[in-house]
Amino acid sequence: MNAGVFGALERIRADRRRFGWADVALGLWIGVLTVLVVYGATTTTGFMTVSNLKAILTAAAFVGIIAVGLTVIVLSGNLFSLALGQTVAVTAMLFLYTLQFGLALAIVLTLLLGLVIGAVQGFAVGAWGANPIIITIGAAGLMEGVAVWLSHGQSIVPPASATSYQRLAEPLLGVPFPVYVFVALTIGLAVAMRRTRFGRGIYLLGENRVAARAAALPVTLLTTAAFALTSVFAAGAGVLIGATSQNASLLLTGSYTYDAIAAALVGGNAVTGGRGSVLRTAGGAVFIATISDMLLLRGYTTGGQILVRGIIVVVVVVLTNLRERSR
Amino acid sequence: MNGERDPASSAGSRSLLGDHPVGPVLLEVVGLSKSYGPVRAIQDLSLDVRIGEVHAICGHNGAGKSTLVKALVGLVRPDVGVMRFDGEELSLRNPQDAQARGIALVNQELSLVPELSVEDNIFLGGIDVPLLYRRRRLSERARRTLDALGLAHVPLNAAVESLAIGERQLVEIARLLVRDARLLILDEPTATLSKPEIDRVFMATRELVAQGRSVIFVSHRLDEVFDLCDRVTVLRDGRVVGTHMIGEIDRRSLINLMLGEMEGAAAARHHVSERAHSGVDAVRIEGLSVPGAVEDFSLTLERGIITGLAGQVGSGTSTVLRALGGLVPDASGTVEVHGQSVRLNTPRLASRAGILYIPNDRQREGLFLGQTVESNLTVVRLRRLSRLGVILRRRSQRVARDLSTMVGVGLDRLGSPVDRLSGGNQQKVLLGRALHREGTVLLALDEPTRGVDVGGRADIHELVRDAAREGASVIFSSTELDEVLDLADVVVTMFAGRIVSVIPRADASASSVLADMTTREREGEGRP
Amino acid sequence: MRRTRISTARIGGASRFVPFAILAVMIATMALLPVVTDYTVRTANVYDVFQNFSAYGLVALALGITIMAGEFDLSVSSMYLLGGMVAVLTGAGSPLVGILAALGTAVIVGCVQGGLIAYFRLNSMPVTLGGYLVVLGITYILGHSKSVMYEDYNVGLRLDQPIAQVFSIRSLISLGIFVLVAFVLRYLRVGRDVRAIGGDRRAARVAGVPVEHLLIGVFIVSALGAALAGALLSYSLATASPTNIGFDVLTFSATAALLGGVSLSGGRGSAVGIAAGVLSLSVLQEILAIVRSPDYVSSLITGGLLVLVTILWAPEISKWFRTTRVASAVESKRVQG
Repeated sequence: MNAGVFGALERIRADRRRFGWADVALGLWIGVLTVLVVYGATTTTGFMTVSNLKAILTAAAFVGIIAVGLTVIVLSGNLFSLALGQTVAVTAMLFLYTLQFGLALAIVLTLLLGLVIGAVQGFAVGAWGANPIIITIGAAGLMEGVAVWLSHGQSIVPPASATSYQRLAEPLLGVPFPVYVFVALTIGLAVAMRRTRFGRGIYLLGENRVAARAAALPVTLLTTAAFALTSVFAAGAGVLIGATSQNASLLLTGSYTYDAIAAALVGGNAVTGGRGSVLRTAGGAVFIATISDMLLLRGYTTGGQILVRGIIVVVVVVLTNLRERSR
Repeated sequence: MNGERDPASSAGSRSLLGDHPVGPVLLEVVGLSKSYGPVRAIQDLSLDVRIGEVHAICGHNGAGKSTLVKALVGLVRPDVGVMRFDGEELSLRNPQDAQARGIALVNQELSLVPELSVEDNIFLGGIDVPLLYRRRRLSERARRTLDALGLAHVPLNAAVESLAIGERQLVEIARLLVRDARLLILDEPTATLSKPEIDRVFMATRELVAQGRSVIFVSHRLDEVFDLCDRVTVLRDGRVVGTHMIGEIDRRSLINLMLGEMEGAAAARHHVSERAHSGVDAVRIEGLSVPGAVEDFSLTLERGIITGLAGQVGSGTSTVLRALGGLVPDASGTVEVHGQSVRLNTPRLASRAGILYIPNDRQREGLFLGQTVESNLTVVRLRRLSRLGVILRRRSQRVARDLSTMVGVGLDRLGSPVDRLSGGNQQKVLLGRALHREGTVLLALDEPTRGVDVGGRADIHELVRDAAREGASVIFSSTELDEVLDLADVVVTMFAGRIVSVIPRADASASSVLADMTTREREGEGRP
Repeated sequence: MRRTRISTARIGGASRFVPFAILAVMIATMALLPVVTDYTVRTANVYDVFQNFSAYGLVALALGITIMAGEFDLSVSSMYLLGGMVAVLTGAGSPLVGILAALGTAVIVGCVQGGLIAYFRLNSMPVTLGGYLVVLGITYILGHSKSVMYEDYNVGLRLDQPIAQVFSIRSLISLGIFVLVAFVLRYLRVGRDVRAIGGDRRAARVAGVPVEHLLIGVFIVSALGAALAGALLSYSLATASPTNIGFDVLTFSATAALLGGVSLSGGRGSAVGIAAGVLSLSVLQEILAIVRSPDYVSSLITGGLLVLVTILWAPEISKWFRTTRVASAVESKRVQG
């Protein structure tokens, strides 16, 4: 899985324009990455085992679900959300808490919370033009405060009586359940973005906000929905993560936010919006998970992994932007 | 008529060489030509500007004024020809070069930073401004310059964003003066100004020439040209058709020069619409006003009738259309569609009222450059092309194919991103999006054929006529006389935000329309 | 539009006093605390306020400058950590060497980020996000994923020793730098140019402002501010930690900058305003400490303030209210009509 491969395929299908030097650069980059991955795959001990590949997919699944949802915000031209990790933590906490009312209800309530959290942020951005990054930073802080307050600083554990939720974390036919969710949600969202009015509206909005408004597209509604959708996906991840860890607190925030954003960027989505796709993000998530796994197996420390991730992000952002600019 | 000037011209103007000394030649342009591909923008252009002179450049759209200006300030390099400034030959690579020589341009797009103060803006980016720049000497110089330009009432530390646009323009001029500009080119400086602001610009211009500088005044406002300028050079089709002292020419002759033989030969080319009424009111506009742009615009648009708004930059034609399209929140007045009063605060409301607006800035506000042609064509009809939120692919493709064929954009381009198309094709796509849309009562087209070649334009005009024939009411605005005369059933001329005249096409002529576009009131009715 | 609304006659106008009004409210609250409640407020609390100020103040200033220039530096929160780590690791012999090393690192980071953003005309958010990760990674690597102790406790003690009961060397350094930056922004050409490229970059470029050089400079300054604050704090705590306390620093700095009058649309703001914003939040933190409120209240309030300020100063909010007002006016006209 390579950054930008999906992008290249889509582009080739979409038009027959000449390839400029920026494409050459991107092509070279993809080539280099492919070589590295193949090299790493063959020379890293323990990489090419079924259990390891499953581990990669599982790691990719959680971040992937969040990242894929985030793609909608990115495509809409609203950069990204910095509240993802907090949303995951808070929704995981709610999920485990509401399990006492039954699994189905717990899931519904959790997703609903995600929806509301996202919709409020999206409305402020869409209707009032509030800066999306700052709004999400603020929302993250608020969520942290509320979460600690309501939980009295303690982590939430599922009620002893409930066991049904464990199905969510268990493997199904050998593959962990979250992976199925990741694949299904990715395909579902990808189709929705290409084939529905909403998806088309998001692409148009991200491509040119002013023109979208002039063409009478429902800008406020689209923005609110975009943030809401991202948040619902994060809540979905929260459900799965909560079920997996069986213990939820703000510690769950982890690095989900930056991982998800990195996945979206590395996949090749333009941060200015309107160009890119859900599939690219999914590819980016898997790619990052693969690289991280490889680095881990080769003994790289946490720092090394973060560093490599950061470098990849910067390089891809530069190349993606160059490519867009040369169009 | 030679030698006669309009008797009602305001006193206090002088257009004869007598009033102030006009010196030797400062700028000399010889044989300038520039082509963009097959299009010859200017050809064999020669003129000169003297020290202390206010020299007007007049010409209708497409005459080559903007290319000439761009060449003078280094924004484009001419293919052939020589420019001499102060005797020395000019070879300009960029606007910085021009500014260094002392040639500066002031146009609609000001380069002031609104958040900074007047003083800060005056010295912004100047090369010999010291590090610790707020020194008394500099402040005094700024103050003197501002006073000379009629801005004595503006404090140096006032934020530029608190100034009116006329004042901002003068601040920009102040910056150029502080950099010792010797030739200032004012491109349509009064287009968006109120009367007192225009007076101030005049005063400033007179002050400039009194200081021994020169001014090139590019304008379509002939009254002002006669009030302010010493000489006028008329361009037509990229060539100079005459340079005259202001005292030696009158308005009628000037207009004829600008039009050339358009009256005769071109008239044969035009489609002349004979019907100006259909009897069924579609949209009634009453007292539409936008502070600073449009004043008391009232018009009734009938079903199946194409109304053309003719007016130059700043006349308000574009603003009227934008207001109809829901893009001007501080517009006031009433608009009735089929007898029902409608709210037009947002584009969504306008769309719901049946008004479809096509903007004139296709790249910024019209098209989605990275999206496919199909996407761009179907953006305003997605609801009808979907069921339960899902876009019906085949229907969408069919509609896109139909529209594409109608406007003449190749079917093989449907899946291409629009930014790959030529300007003309882009415009066709933008227009195509407006055609054949159910529920459209009024099509509001802002410069419908901008950037399209003659053949394409004729095709588009036919399409618009088709749309009207099918029952839509059409209102369009254009700065091109040709287009107005060819397409409109009813010609409405605007100047400075007000309607000057409303005439059926059959009664309009090129010269009468142009005359109306360049004056505040109709000929013969005296001046305010 | 021909006539723009006459919002302010002079630079800033009434809105320039908002940061100070907020600060006044905070100070008044703290001063009135012993009057209304049982808690006492001593000079030690004022000292704490200034200590809080020096913990994050320079980071807020750094971020604020990038916002004024029309950009946003997301990497300040990890540059903060890196500054601390480098200072601790290299300052074993002499704290000054450590500080210089931290500043040197900052210059490099700032050059790279600024260079990419300026010459490739990139949006600063994703670039600085990548930068955040890179810098964080380096911090981890340098510290071997652990906190690193700084042997010389005396340095920290000296830095934090009370001067005139309420200040310390650390807070005086921070305040001093604020004064310096305030001077530069107000009286030097670069200060005006930074706001110019934030206010209207195209106009600034046309006018002849060296946009690229300034952008690089802005990001260097931003990194320097974050690194210095981090270095001083690490000396004070005698530890450098790679732990990602990312959000706290970022939220605090962004809130302080916005409260201080920095506008997200660029071109507006002042060092003095940012100082007022930082002080306001520092006083707030101290008040919460006095009343012994749990940590989450601070998150809640800071987060809530940030959301509130962002919404209130959102570009289209006044238009939104105007639209809804105009709509109802038209409605009522029709009804009366």
